[in-house]
Amino acid sequence: MDSVYLKRDKAGRINIKAGNRVNSVINWTVLSLTLLTVTAFLFFDYTGLEIGRAIMETAVNLRTMFLQPSLNHFSWGEALFQVGVTISLAVIATILGAVIAFFLALWSAVNLANKWVSKSIKIFVAFIRAVPTVLWVLIFAIAAGLGSEAAILGMLFHSIAYLVKAFSEAFEEVDKGMLEALRSTGSGWWHTIVHAVLPSTSTYLLSWTFLRFEINFSVAVAMGAAAGAGGIGFELFMASGFYFDLREVGFITYAILLVAIVLEVASTHLKKRYFSS
Amino acid sequence: MSLLQVKDLNKSYQTDTKVLKNINFSAGTGEFLSVIGPSGAGKSTLLRCINRLVQADKGEILFGGQDLLKLRKKELRAARTNIGMIFQHYNLVPRLTVIENVLHGRFGYKSTLQGVLGRFSEEEKERAFYLLEKLGIEAHAYKRCDQLSGGQQQRVGICRALIQNPKLILCDEPIASLDPHSSKVIMDHLKSISEEMGITCIVNLHQVEVAQSYSDRIIGLNNGSIVFDGSNFQLDQLYIKRVYGMETRELITV
Repeated sequence: MDSVYLKRDKAGRINIKAGNRVNSVINWTVLSLTLLTVTAFLFFDYTGLEIGRAIMETAVNLRTMFLQPSLNHFSWGEALFQVGVTISLAVIATILGAVIAFFLALWSAVNLANKWVSKSIKIFVAFIRAVPTVLWVLIFAIAAGLGSEAAILGMLFHSIAYLVKAFSEAFEEVDKGMLEALRSTGSGWWHTIVHAVLPSTSTYLLSWTFLRFEINFSVAVAMGAAAGAGGIGFELFMASGFYFDLREVGFITYAILLVAIVLEVASTHLKKRYFSS
Repeated sequence: MSLLQVKDLNKSYQTDTKVLKNINFSAGTGEFLSVIGPSGAGKSTLLRCINRLVQADKGEILFGGQDLLKLRKKELRAARTNIGMIFQHYNLVPRLTVIENVLHGRFGYKSTLQGVLGRFSEEEKERAFYLLEKLGIEAHAYKRCDQLSGGQQQRVGICRALIQNPKLILCDEPIASLDPHSSKVIMDHLKSISEEMGITCIVNLHQVEVAQSYSDRIIGLNNGSIVFDGSNFQLDQLYIKRVYGMETRELITV
């Protein structure tokens, strides 16, 4: 006789997976998505498409772009300056965002703050995060006009929302006993924050800030084009949309890629050197 | 006149299950008091109710003439400086140095700004080193706490409690995660604290024989009620059965 907890399938074999309903929902979803994908190809409009020529021409374009990069409309020095502008946009948005997010995160961590304050900040921040950065930039552009001000405000807004979530989760991971011990000595709230919470989470805070900086750099490139914030993104937009200069597009892409790699290497290096525990 | 008097203390986390039921006891100055009882009997809750890390529902806790349960935020902070606490898992800040952790015990005496900036007087620092030396760990003063062994960390915890200049020290299973030798070192230190410095110690313990050999008095807790309150030699087989619900020979008492 089987125990009450043992489950068998229709063929009489013993189940070892829990949650049969979840599995079947996943299976059905995958199956219907596959069917939709296949049928979609049958209904596309294929007029005027010569697949061979399309592939050939794309290959030629890509080759011009990436194998023969050159600068035609501005100099090396200017290119460097524009990259600097883009990096500055990212730096300002990240640093201001991190500072503001730190305080908001303190009040939104459930183990450190009032339950209702924490809840309302979290909901507010989730709302901000749900709207893409570009939209925030365009919203701020109404007040500040298209340009770097709107771009920074928009990026700042989204950075704060993102970092509040990351920081507050780091704070919530702090060992409860440590907070209890400090409270039992008669320490105040700020004492606990500065001398227990901060030392135990500083590495997380810094690595989240770095990550956000990398994101902000690529967002700043896009904002240069979309919001006229200047920097290398704007040059990319001009080169591709105005001059149709594929070689310059290639050059700018390489420049952005290089900066991204340098940032990545620098951040891992810094982390290894200063925050290894 | 007793230092601490607990009257009719009640506490429940959920509405229908009572963790503490009408607890009454008192502790005199310099007394070494052990609280024994099975897990879930309410030992930790009782200790945490005294310094209000846990909010009691009903009752009175008279400490040095004032009722701790009626205090407001600022008064409570001031009262907590007189009550040290030691934890099973030490609860130090692992990334800070030993000396920094010891000085955390002084925050109760500091204003917000002084504390945040970490301004400690030379006397406080000297006192911290004196205490570390007394507990035999002054050589580790500048090490990070996560590099220390359990016994050493617990001694840091004791230093942190002592630098508060407390009248009462609450110990929540101080030796539950330590090896037999470290346990003895810690218990000896606690005993000498109560005898030499006249600080009252209330210690939650799992080891009945340790409680019997160190305490002046033992309180037995079962299911939220005090079932034994008397000196260590009064705790016989019959009472142990009432505390743990079974005979001594069925228990590991050491």
